[in-house]
Amino acid sequence: MTLKDIRSVIDGFDATRAQMENLAETGQDFANEGARVQTRVASLHPKRLALTVSDLVEETATTRTLRLTGDAGTLPPFLAGQYVNLFVTVDGVETARPFAISSAPQERGHYDLTVRKIAGGFVSPWLVEGLQVGAKVSSSGPMGSFYVNPIHHGDDLVFLAGGSGVAPAISMIRDIAARRLPVKFHLIYGSRQTDDVIFQRELSELDAACDFLTLTQVISEPNDAFQGRTGFIDAALISEVCGEMANKTVYLCGPPAMNAACAKELKDVGVTNKRLHIEANGPPVDPTARGGWPSGVAAHQNVTVTVNGKGSFETTAGEPLLNALEKAGYQVENACRSGECSLCRIKILSGDVFNPSEAKLRQSDRRFGWVHSCVAYATSDVEILL
Amino acid sequence: MKDYDAIVIGAGNAGLSAAATLQRGGMRTLLLERHNIPGGCATSFVRGDYEFEVALHQLSGLGTEDQPAILRHVFDSMGISDKVDYVEEHHLYRYAVPGVIDITLPASVKGIIAVLSEAFPAEADKLKPFLDLCEVLTLEAYLAYPRAKATGDPEVIKKNCRNFVKYGLRNAKDVLDEFFDDPVLKAVLGGYWGYMGLPLKELPFSDLGVMLYAYAAMKPWHVVGGSQALSNALLDSFLEAGGDVRFNCGAEQITTDNGAVAAVRTEHGEIFTTNQVVSNASSILTYNQLLDRPELAGDVREDFKSRRMGVSGFVLYLGLDCTPKDLGIEVATNFVANTIDDEAQHAEALTLDGAPKGCLFTCYTVGDETLAPKGKSVVALMCLQYGSAWDNVKPEDYAATKFAYAEKLIDLAETVIPSVRDHIEEIEVATPMTMMRYLNTPGGAIYGFSQGIAEHGTVRDRVRPVHGLHLAGSWSGMGGFQPTYQAGASVGGSILCKQNKKAG
Ligand SMILES: Cc1cc2nc3c(=O)[nH]c(=O)nc-3n(C[C@H](O)[C@H](O)[C@H](O)COP(=O)(O)OP(=O)(O)OC[C@H]3O[C@@H](n4cnc5c(N)ncnc54)[C@H](O)[C@@H]3O)c2cc1C
Ligand code: FES
Repeated sequence: MTLKDIRSVIDGFDATRAQMENLAETGQDFANEGARVQTRVASLHPKRLALTVSDLVEETATTRTLRLTGDAGTLPPFLAGQYVNLFVTVDGVETARPFAISSAPQERGHYDLTVRKIAGGFVSPWLVEGLQVGAKVSSSGPMGSFYVNPIHHGDDLVFLAGGSGVAPAISMIRDIAARRLPVKFHLIYGSRQTDDVIFQRELSELDAACDFLTLTQVISEPNDAFQGRTGFIDAALISEVCGEMANKTVYLCGPPAMNAACAKELKDVGVTNKRLHIEANGPPVDPTARGGWPSGVAAHQNVTVTVNGKGSFETTAGEPLLNALEKAGYQVENACRSGECSLCRIKILSGDVFNPSEAKLRQSDRRFGWVHSCVAYATSDVEILL
Repeated sequence: MKDYDAIVIGAGNAGLSAAATLQRGGMRTLLLERHNIPGGCATSFVRGDYEFEVALHQLSGLGTEDQPAILRHVFDSMGISDKVDYVEEHHLYRYAVPGVIDITLPASVKGIIAVLSEAFPAEADKLKPFLDLCEVLTLEAYLAYPRAKATGDPEVIKKNCRNFVKYGLRNAKDVLDEFFDDPVLKAVLGGYWGYMGLPLKELPFSDLGVMLYAYAAMKPWHVVGGSQALSNALLDSFLEAGGDVRFNCGAEQITTDNGAVAAVRTEHGEIFTTNQVVSNASSILTYNQLLDRPELAGDVREDFKSRRMGVSGFVLYLGLDCTPKDLGIEVATNFVANTIDDEAQHAEALTLDGAPKGCLFTCYTVGDETLAPKGKSVVALMCLQYGSAWDNVKPEDYAATKFAYAEKLIDLAETVIPSVRDHIEEIEVATPMTMMRYLNTPGGAIYGFSQGIAEHGTVRDRVRPVHGLHLAGSWSGMGGFQPTYQAGASVGGSILCKQNKKAG
């Protein structure tokens, strides 16, 4: 400073400037901070993971486990119950589907995804039948809030699983066993036929080996030789095998119909919203059956989607906009594909869109016309902003 | 012709405000945001039946409809006045340290004097002079001082800004000591220190005094739909004026030509030419990473050396299955601590080993029930924390560490607001690492650099080494909502002004 600064008339100004100079002696120019931020964020929440299919395990005739090994070594940690969104190209369409991780969180070299083929599905048949060992895929980082939260879930846990919904359950069981957590875990697992039971051997072994675990299996379409419990999981069965439910935390993960039915049964036995955690399920199976769907619009009705400044295409009212966009070659970020995470958020500039209850929209997104495209349906011609 | 007249990097408060101002002023503007939603800190998220406000506790600077203050005018000028609704809060805060004090300050200067006179009769006569000082300091700091400084005459500063000259750069502790004796009273009046993230002895008194007076006179406000509603409204105004926005599209490089801004390259490799860039990303990132030739930053990087990393936060977003009344609370903003010692509270922000000694329990459903399903409440429970406290936490220990600290924070809140834990229906835990992920800021800092006296705008010189590159946001001025909205509007305004001069 050559000239005296006019600000020197302010009490403390000169002293503070001197202090600044002292600070500069011991400070840094933060040249490495940008890289540190990136490394740190990537170690916990990478945007994309590069993975190789290192093994494929037949679980049942319709289900297999994909073992995915991280190309960059150790994979980010996850909480048992969380999912990754798997990005794939099927029939030339770049798309993705979320799958719960079935391996234990202690296993950091790979994630296992246990996939069941859905009849008429677009991606699951390809994953179960088409994917080969050695294939390269990518995924999101682990996500989701369907996990055992130590803060308020307590130590008395019940998991109702149906079909491949057992995937997050087995990860939780493996985790509890590895960490010797002081909880009780009761898995009630429904399958259609005995051949459909996934992880049968491991579950029986764990059941025998682990004091914390109780296993109840139910078969809905038993053959004549079957001796175990049959039917669907209902209030009577839950009460019979679990007793008083008021203080238990319940996780529910199964096909959409089962989730809806079981949620009702659980209410009947006194499980409150607070104690019930239902895993997301993808878009509604039949959106036209939902309250609020405009009358007179059929699922197969053609609608035109115009993407602001980027062309237009035809789709049907019953197709979620995200899927339609992907099939038309547009890319939209996404992860849960069930309306929860908001990553697929787009703006509707004109036209009518149906948002089912799955769409967890922010109040102000509703007001300004933003929707979650994974569970949004164009019920007229629409114009959107990507 | 350039692709755009201006490109704004980052859609935080300052980025949105700059973009809306520029586009509405007639400059063709591109707004780039790496995340999928506008707002930066000013955002919300949904879990189950609840929508959680991420960052806004109390909006300052709005004033009432009858007596609008600066921020209402700024929002007017950006065209969002009919796009947002506000809810007035009638209290500044409750300050509770079990066994020591439990007191609530109403949102008016008179009310504060009345409440504190009753609780601290021995010091009653000093309250008015103190709050009067806060008032004149506010006027001098924002109106008289900038004008006086522009004259270039130190005598004018001395004459027109007497209080600012005397108190502006003193530390807040000093000034409270000058006025008052009772340590409890001083702690109550200094309650807002947490909003700036440094203990009273390190804070410029002007910042604390202005904040106290501004909230009392212009009221604290909540926004219907949370700060996301403001972010969405600003974006809407920008789009209506014809602006282009890209989400999921981070800026990767600011390209220069002869020391002047020439273009911006995105993470997807597209290049857009422009002469004006406003960066709402941190100054550290802007000059050290984004700028194609960091050596151009020269003086800025020297300036960095006298800066210190600012604080971040550890926040629990709670959806509770009961009403505020069931919890026994009547005030949205509750400072809860187990000591009146702000330095001891601040010390805990540096480590995960101990337990928090002070926290902020904000219940948004007090005053606005629409924020939660009927009969339920939305709460943010927060304590200050530096990103560095997490430096040595391994990825595999991250979750367990955050849950363990969350338990301690709930324990502290429960010393004043019992049975919080029993009512939890939804909970999300955010750490400084979460802030880092969503804001892309070093240390997950939420107010930019530390807000101490040596960082104060009054003692800093403006350095702008790259022609056409402007910074707007918490890293180039004061952090917080009101300051960053105003910073964006003012940077946008000054670019427009120069542009118009050139054109005219
Ligand atoms: C939990 C919490 C509580 C808070 N409480 C309060 C409070 O009570 N009162 C108060 O006044 N303030 C509070 N704050 C602080 C206040 O929210 C912030 O200081 C203010 O919002 C910062 O605004 P900003 O304009 O600097 O931008 P930021 O919010 O930092 O946003 C910057 C934006 O730039 C984007 N970006 C970064 N890099 C790039 C890139 N390369 N390309 C494109 N985009 C990029 C980011 O994604 C982000 O959207 C709080 C903050 C938090 C997190
Ligand atoms: S992908 Fe998660 S909400 Fe659509």
